[in-house]
Amino acid sequence: MNKIYGEGDTKVHALVDVSFSVKKGEFVLVVGSSGSGKSTLLNMIGLLDRPTNGQVSIDGTNTTTLSDDQISSFRNSKLGFIFQSSNLLTDLTVLENTLLPRNIQHTDQNAMNEAINLLKAVGLGDQMNKRANKISGGQAQRAAIARGLVNKPSIVLADEPTGNLDSVTAETIIQLMKSMAEKLGQTFIVVTHDRHQFGEVDRIITIRDGRAFEGEDPPRKMEIKV
Amino acid sequence: MDYRIHLANRMLANKKGSLLGAIMAVSIGILVIHVNFVIFQGLYDAIIRDLSGYRFGDVLVTNREDVITEKSDVFLVNWLERIPYVEAAAPRLSSSASINVTKSGKTIQDFGVPIVGIDPFHDIRVSTVHETVKDGQYVFSRNSIVVGSTIARDLGGVNVGDNLKVKIVNRHGEDAIKRFIVTGIASSPGGQGFDNSVVIHIDTLRDMLDRQKETGQILVKLNDPTKANEVKDLFLRSFPNDDFKVETIEESAEQTLSGFRSGIAMINMIGYFGMMSSAFAVVTIQMMLVSSKTREIGIMRAIGAKRKDILVIFLFQGMIIGVIGAGVGTGFGLSYTFYAKETKMSFQGSLPLQVSYDWSKIIQTAIMAFGLAVIASIYPAIKATKLQPVEAMRSV
Ligand SMILES: Nc1ncnc2c1ncn2[C@@H]1O[C@H](COP(=O)(O)OP(=O)(O)O)[C@@H](O)[C@H]1O
Ligand SMILES: [Mg+2]
Repeated sequence: MNKIYGEGDTKVHALVDVSFSVKKGEFVLVVGSSGSGKSTLLNMIGLLDRPTNGQVSIDGTNTTTLSDDQISSFRNSKLGFIFQSSNLLTDLTVLENTLLPRNIQHTDQNAMNEAINLLKAVGLGDQMNKRANKISGGQAQRAAIARGLVNKPSIVLADEPTGNLDSVTAETIIQLMKSMAEKLGQTFIVVTHDRHQFGEVDRIITIRDGRAFEGEDPPRKMEIKV
Repeated sequence: MDYRIHLANRMLANKKGSLLGAIMAVSIGILVIHVNFVIFQGLYDAIIRDLSGYRFGDVLVTNREDVITEKSDVFLVNWLERIPYVEAAAPRLSSSASINVTKSGKTIQDFGVPIVGIDPFHDIRVSTVHETVKDGQYVFSRNSIVVGSTIARDLGGVNVGDNLKVKIVNRHGEDAIKRFIVTGIASSPGGQGFDNSVVIHIDTLRDMLDRQKETGQILVKLNDPTKANEVKDLFLRSFPNDDFKVETIEESAEQTLSGFRSGIAMINMIGYFGMMSSAFAVVTIQMMLVSSKTREIGIMRAIGAKRKDILVIFLFQGMIIGVIGAGVGTGFGLSYTFYAKETKMSFQGSLPLQVSYDWSKIIQTAIMAFGLAVIASIYPAIKATKLQPVEAMRSV
């Protein structure tokens, strides 16, 4: 797949012939320097933007031909998102934020219990009814993880989820993601520019100038092509 | 509760300034319409009230020649009072006279004034003129006279108990002169009453004019003023061979009020323009709300909210603004109306406004304000749906 932003002089070829697949249950780390195209890649996989050409298939569905509404539903049921910061709607409580994907899906049955259990699992059992702007950055990322998991998605996508946290808090958030991934057999694709915080992971993809390479610090010719 | 209503509610509750601004905009729009209605419709109705109370009744029976000769007033009054809708009827006869008065040795004379003959027994049941006699009492005997306050002043300050000489030219062209005792001074707020006339007993006037059986007009008061046309038609059908002329108060007052009505229409237009500007204020405030929630909209879209969901959230906001604004505005408006009614509001000693609650108009105004708030939210809401999730989230 390719992604080209803009036209003419301002044209940016953000993704160049990127092609790979991720196995169910894999914890994939996407690394690369700033501006290399990591977020662009994640936005494509997350169906937040469309590639200029190429396609994204999730759970065997080619998403290219889906309508805007279908893509919304697809995002809602198949994908969980954790952004760098300000993940939560500050007008709502932590619990309400966690419930939101279920509300949108109109599957409110049992949602309350599941959301509460997830919040307990991420260590927010006693913060659930606080307004989302009354908790710390680390707690907000925990809530975002709970919200990302509440619809039992196929993939959880995280774009520099620890980018705004101090290193100690970042460490606990990373451990939380890894343990949730393990416990639930949940697929994670996590973008980071700090590979070392993550320790052992299933797989690493490096993005360099819009091209994808298998492994950490790979030589130029090991570009992935399927 | 639907999460979209809940979110719309919370987003507004956490933006108290914008919410308050939008509510004020909507409610002031409504208040302006209520105030306009109280003042201008109140003035209009007050004029009708006074014209009907002082001069025309709810229905006025006259003759094409302005003098009823074919039937006696007693007959007509009795006939009319047998109609169930009719509360009372009273005859009147008008002419003109000149007055002279001797005050502390000095005579002021030859003062031309309108003179009205009334039947005291019937007149107080039909007309409110007797209520304007602030000093003394209404005409009660054949030689009592009530003088309008303006005339009393022009005559050098006539008081109750003073003697007046009234000169009238009778039907034969001869002067008829009679002495009266002033029993009351009539003064009405707004001067619509008999401030510029004198009032005597109708039989005295008939004697002086030598028009024994004649009546100028018969004022009819209804217990249900909406039945004026039915009474009119019934009367005309019952006396097809006579030259009677019957007018409802609307017809009698038409000349006075036709100009006023287009004024009211214009004032109403201004009120509706005011409401339109309230709607524009709501558009602006909603646009501000949408742009302050760009990131939230992006997150909502990322986790799967459809465009329609975003639309609904902001339309709900419009409804919330509309409901509260309409409620508050109607509350303000009713308070003002209540105040105006209770205090018998008037302007600079003019006639007191005839304040009424026009519920259909009140509800219509509230619904219109609500509708405008929702319509005003459509454009901002559509704008909100146009935000792409990635674009929206870049604003972090
Ligand atoms: N919406 C956009 N319009 C134009 N250029 C963009 C846009 N988004 C990203 N880019 C460009 O694409 C390249 C990759 O950006 P990005 O994916 O955000 O990198 P990373 O996340 O790895 O830092 C950069 O050169 C960036 O300037
Ligand atoms: Mg990035």
